[in-house]
Amino acid sequence: MIISRQKEFKDILKAIEARDIFIIGCGKCATKQHVGGEPEVLEMKKKLIGSGKNVVGWAVLSSACNLSSWDEVLSQNPGIEKAEALLVMSCGGGVSIISALAERAVYPALDTESLGGVCRDEVVLEQCGLCGECDIQVFGGICPVGQCPKGMRNGPCGGAVEGKCEVDERKCVWDEIYERLKSLGRLEDIKHIHGPKDHSKRGRKN
Amino acid sequence: MSFSKKLRSGKFTVTAEISPPKGTDISGMIKEAAMVRGIVDAISVTDNQRSVMRMSPLAACSALSQEGFETIMHLTCRDRNRLALQSELLGAAFLGIKNVLVMSGDHPTKGDHPGAKPVYDLDSVQLLDMISRLNSGVDITGNVLEGKTEFLTGAVSNTELTGAALMKLEKKIKAGASFIITQAVFDSGKFSEFMDKIHDTCGKQTKIIAGIIPLKSEKSAQFLNKNIAGVKVPDDVLRRIKEAGDTEAVAPESVGMEIAADMIKELRDVCDGVHIMPIGTHKNTGKILKMAGI
Repeated sequence: MIISRQKEFKDILKAIEARDIFIIGCGKCATKQHVGGEPEVLEMKKKLIGSGKNVVGWAVLSSACNLSSWDEVLSQNPGIEKAEALLVMSCGGGVSIISALAERAVYPALDTESLGGVCRDEVVLEQCGLCGECDIQVFGGICPVGQCPKGMRNGPCGGAVEGKCEVDERKCVWDEIYERLKSLGRLEDIKHIHGPKDHSKRGRKN
Repeated sequence: MSFSKKLRSGKFTVTAEISPPKGTDISGMIKEAAMVRGIVDAISVTDNQRSVMRMSPLAACSALSQEGFETIMHLTCRDRNRLALQSELLGAAFLGIKNVLVMSGDHPTKGDHPGAKPVYDLDSVQLLDMISRLNSGVDITGNVLEGKTEFLTGAVSNTELTGAALMKLEKKIKAGASFIITQAVFDSGKFSEFMDKIHDTCGKQTKIIAGIIPLKSEKSAQFLNKNIAGVKVPDDVLRRIKEAGDTEAVAPESVGMEIAADMIKELRDVCDGVHIMPIGTHKNTGKILKMAGI
């Protein structure tokens, strides 16, 4: 799941000059995280109207990043034709896909943070660092590239105090990796030196 | 005697930490260095410490070398990718810098440029390993160098180690760290436990240098406890410096100097050296060392 957070409303207003706005939410990740599902779209509509904007319509697409036909979207949501701008409440993937198809100004309402997931109904952040050469099995299934703010592959930095990361409130992921491997009897996996990442593997391959 | 020779000879070494200027005027830094001239074996020069932007340690070390000081250049993984790290190291070798102290580096969000991109292309273990390669005449990808480096490399460590942290320290030693400078020590008993741990897991070939921060006041001690990872000023030391502040018979700074000197005396037979990291200035460093009998 793509993890996103809502932008500050004042920043959204500042970005959009257009008056006639159509709001698009996303039925997948943004709905799950309560940042771009129907309730949030309706809340956004209320705020925009309250700020003097004209909301010409709204829709929550089943998946903003997966659109086979824009004509189909238009036929189901004719209000889009009346809009000067589309405000998209999805991750950057959805915003880009809609921008490619919509032939009008598209604005993001969310900031995309990381690749995460939902674990026992709890949204978890930064589960994958998108490095393009996954070896998560070595780290007991816990990705240090995604979860350590420094992406350390050979153990913790010196910044953790009593198990807490120096950057924010998160726990040091290296304690977690160590404890999981210890309980699995596989500490040997992290005892040898792991080389640097090959950054040419990141991103597209052709 | 050079720092590396003294360290290898088994003699007790004394090093002092200095920061490059935030700006182009090096006169303050040179004055600081002059305060420890002749009483320390090398001056270690920080690399944007606590993520606060300053002059590069390469330039600062070069300036100090010209003044006749032996230096230890700090090198963090925070600001440079593997190309920049290697070219910096080749430049340092050319300029006569012999010693490098490697660390991950505080995250940019901790400093005065919180929006800077955190690089961390390599971690400290990989950086140590890369320096070992440069010392053997090849770069990190195996290309042969025209002229190799001859660095003595060190790494840093906290003294209270989790299982994961001890594992990383082992890797640092395996990757080529010849000496370890620790975070500030205020409890010699706990420090001895740390030494035992290292000896048990990594052997005795790596030299251990204990960090010393002379306290200036109770406030400075509280600041360290709150803000500096890996520093723990214990209650009895806190009490000692607080009482000085309360009675006003002795200045807390003098008590801080006594505490530091006592610590150095206690550590002298426990480890291979001390590394003085004052809050602000080295004006008392000479006195502290004298009080400690060095």
